[in-house]
Amino acid sequence: MKQMIALLTAMILLLTLPACGAQPARTARDREVFAMDTVMELRVYDSSDAVLDEMDAALAALSRELNAEDDNGGLYALNRAGGGENAALADLVRRAAALSARTGGALDVSLHLASLAWGFPSKRYSIPTEADLTELANHCGMRLVSCAGDRITLQNGAELDLGAIAKGYAADCCRAILERAGVSGILSLGGNIQTVGKKPDGTDWTVAIQDPDDPGSYLLTMTVTGTKSVVTSGDYQRFFERDGARYCHILDPETLSPARNGLRMVTIVADEGFLADGLSTALFVMGLERGIEFWRAGNDFEAIWLTEDGTVTVTEGLEDRISYKNAEVVRR
Amino acid sequence: MKTLKTKTWVLLLAAIFVLLAGIVLLQRLTEKPARTASVWVAGKLDRTLDLTTDGVYRIETGDGWNELTVSGGKVAVTAASCPDGDCVRCGAQNSGPPITCLPNRLTIRFSASGGVDGVAK
Repeated sequence: MKQMIALLTAMILLLTLPACGAQPARTARDREVFAMDTVMELRVYDSSDAVLDEMDAALAALSRELNAEDDNGGLYALNRAGGGENAALADLVRRAAALSARTGGALDVSLHLASLAWGFPSKRYSIPTEADLTELANHCGMRLVSCAGDRITLQNGAELDLGAIAKGYAADCCRAILERAGVSGILSLGGNIQTVGKKPDGTDWTVAIQDPDDPGSYLLTMTVTGTKSVVTSGDYQRFFERDGARYCHILDPETLSPARNGLRMVTIVADEGFLADGLSTALFVMGLERGIEFWRAGNDFEAIWLTEDGTVTVTEGLEDRISYKNAEVVRR
Repeated sequence: MKTLKTKTWVLLLAAIFVLLAGIVLLQRLTEKPARTASVWVAGKLDRTLDLTTDGVYRIETGDGWNELTVSGGKVAVTAASCPDGDCVRCGAQNSGPPITCLPNRLTIRFSASGGVDGVAK
């Protein structure tokens, strides 16, 4: 009798266990930060706010230093002076120049004057004339940017705009902070997703890509294992419309005009935030065919393209990770 | 007598077990994600909106103001002091990525995330 009662009591207790929930050893801690002209969501699995505080401070400093419009920052000073000494910026610009060369110039961080002419930083949009663009071409282009040691030189009035790589670089800095502390987490730096380590429950991260035509919906979701950077560039985040035409903020370095080549968006998955960020812009500029050839020539990233006709194309490394069923798969 | 007493106890405990199991099962089957939206201003939780109750809310953010309208189970920014109006163009939502007003540093987050950890955009 006693055994029977004990057995039934144990069964009743078992029923109440789910209510307790399986709490991870470290709890999710969230913070929202406004930096780099965007909103950032930081989630870490930790027992204190120390790592969040450290990332918060780092992002505020980077936001100031890398923003071409912030008159208290290093980049602003560099642009005004036509160059100068700045070890951290020189290192970043050198890396950007290398990625620019690798992408055949599709990534170009010297287009600040062109971006100003289109009105993207101020959101007071205008369409430059052909004569304006011809004149701007004299002051834009990576040929006008050089680095020697810690010194950056900007020739002919060229100005840097690091918007295509700044958030990716910031994600790498945050990742280093998390890894140093041995903490896992997921960060959204204005839509640039950085996963670090494993989720406490041991499952993969689930990352969605926003539907360009419906901000409240997802185009697809994908599973991400461990530490990765997922970055999307598209024509739907920052743009303006005139006479029925859409002008997005991503400029084609060849025309100094908004890139328009049949793509709605490109998503890059890579180990490094800087690389994913820079390549998402570059591959958006390249268009689908050139982008596929570029992917085949490398081995350090995967990609998803959405074309204007609604076709989703995905590289083979993501084939089994995405929720989208009818994607075209490209192979090496 | 003793046998009868034991049987009664067993039956009673078994009945309690079945009843509790039924309650837990019913709760699991009828469980629905809470339909709420949390409104954050400059990184701090300002309020939580019940999306099942219609209403209009004016949020003063310190950087400006946003008018939020809850209707038909969704929330929308229906007017705002920001210069670009990006938040208003997001339309009415009840799930998915947050609605953000950068100039006013306001975000609206949804309780129903669909199991997604992050949204690339």
